[in-house]
Amino acid sequence: MARIKSGRKILIVDDESESAILRAVRRRLEEEGWEALVVQPEAGHSIGEEFEAAALWSIEEDRPDAVLLDVRFGEHRDDQFRGLNILGQVVERWPKLPILMFTQYTQGPDRETAVRGSLKWDAPVDFIDKLASPDEVVLRLRRLIGTSPESIPIGNKILVDVKTRLLYVGDGEDRAPVLDIQGMKFEIFRELAATWYRSPGELVPFSRLECYSDGEDPRASLRVRIREIKDAIGKAMNSRFGPSELILNVRDQGYRLVPPKS
Amino acid sequence: MTKLLTSIKILGGVIALTGLVCVALTPFIGENVFEPLWAVEPLSYIGILLLVAGLGIATSVYVGLGFSQRGSGHGLNGRYSGPSWSETTLQYFQLFDHDLGRPLRRIAGKERELRAVMEAAPGVVDIGVKDLLDEIERQTPNFRLMMSNIQILIQLESPASENELQPVEPAEVVRRISDRYSAVASEAGKEITWWSEPAEFGLVYANTSAIEHIVTNLVDNAVRFAGTHVEVKLTMNPSHFFVRVWDDGPGIRQQYIQHLFDRGWTPEVVRREEKSSSGLGLFIARSLARKSGGDLTVESDDRADGDHHTAFLLSLPSNLGANSNGVH
Repeated sequence: MARIKSGRKILIVDDESESAILRAVRRRLEEEGWEALVVQPEAGHSIGEEFEAAALWSIEEDRPDAVLLDVRFGEHRDDQFRGLNILGQVVERWPKLPILMFTQYTQGPDRETAVRGSLKWDAPVDFIDKLASPDEVVLRLRRLIGTSPESIPIGNKILVDVKTRLLYVGDGEDRAPVLDIQGMKFEIFRELAATWYRSPGELVPFSRLECYSDGEDPRASLRVRIREIKDAIGKAMNSRFGPSELILNVRDQGYRLVPPKS
Repeated sequence: MTKLLTSIKILGGVIALTGLVCVALTPFIGENVFEPLWAVEPLSYIGILLLVAGLGIATSVYVGLGFSQRGSGHGLNGRYSGPSWSETTLQYFQLFDHDLGRPLRRIAGKERELRAVMEAAPGVVDIGVKDLLDEIERQTPNFRLMMSNIQILIQLESPASENELQPVEPAEVVRRISDRYSAVASEAGKEITWWSEPAEFGLVYANTSAIEHIVTNLVDNAVRFAGTHVEVKLTMNPSHFFVRVWDDGPGIRQQYIQHLFDRGWTPEVVRREEKSSSGLGLFIARSLARKSGGDLTVESDDRADGDHHTAFLLSLPSNLGANSNGVH
């Protein structure tokens, strides 16, 4: 079996792995720092059977962090839902392994059949449309895998290093820590960054951030800290962030991170 | 209901079969178990009785099902349409969807490759090229939504379609939709923000596809008409959960609001202009919401000098008590 080596390992099982749409997804996975392993069975038997055997062998051998799995393999009638057979076997043998079904059958009876036949409702399996953008694929995989990385890049210029509890600004060798953002301020930014990493549009409610503020009016204290964070990052980037930039305040609800445009 | 009738049909079949077995075994059991000849006869009588009763139950349920479908199984047009028609249409549609999707995937794939090449080697790029690439990326979610709309419409037209309840996390549904539209919105200088109250929203029992479909239609509309912001808020009370999709767009004229959920209606219909959309999205969304025991309403302010906005409110039963032990 030939395999293209391309960090976190994502196994791609798709008979159109060389198509432009899959190449764009693989490129995005690599930008994410993940390693894309592509299952490519040797020619011979029925294409669906080959892929099924090769996919199971590869999971056993490579222990990927997640699988991106197609449903339809070729035009043969027996292979129309081959991916669902593979899904059933993977769920049975590796019930904790996240699987993202990359298919056009994201809705309708076939999806329902797959969900009812092969899965428990809380199995780490999800369906995504083949026309989904590579960013959408990565977001879905991030959530299926579940754990946040030790460092979260926000756009091209900001890096949140969870391990050292420091925030860096700049790129390459010019990257430097913003020493004004430490302690509670770092925790506030880390909370916003971790939420953004999993779901870019999600708001972090005041209730989750007020534990990082003090005084009689925690919300006012939070507001001050947010302003100080924006000022410190703006200073490090020789920029100034307006009210709807970097950290957006949604009235009476909470805050949301908005990565600066590069 | 269909499941119940099917179960009764099966029961009728089993009774009939038992009757048949009784009749078939009568001579043997009569010889081995009962000495006097008269004892054979009651067993054969019982067998014949069971056979007739079983066939009767199965036939009456079958006939009754046909009548009930003719009496109440109307599609959205008020016309009768049998389940086989719907299933066949759905099968044809899926083939059609697959064939249409393939060229579009190729186009989208090539567009993403070209964009990657342009980003890797920045230089002067004709504005028209960038516009074309952006347009392809913008139209991709439209295509996905259009295909999904047709599929849901076929299912809604089927008299046998049921509102299937499954455990679902509404917050996850909203998150996915936000993922899909965030990039498109961002390209257009707009932001989508979503949240839930409480933050840990938990599970409800509902039709996953219906929620996803309705909210997708609402967010798609909101992104199209918003000025700069779209907000999606998820809330709940003891019996229902609510999704409010708000945008800071110009608002909808009051005289249009009453027609907003009509099948095929778009503002262009009134103005006798070419329609820019099928006008099915909101119609399907409300039909689905009502079929699921909920509703979809709208509130809008179109005063240019005021706080103009549009807000759609989807309410659906959370079915937490009745169905948590018996999801079907």
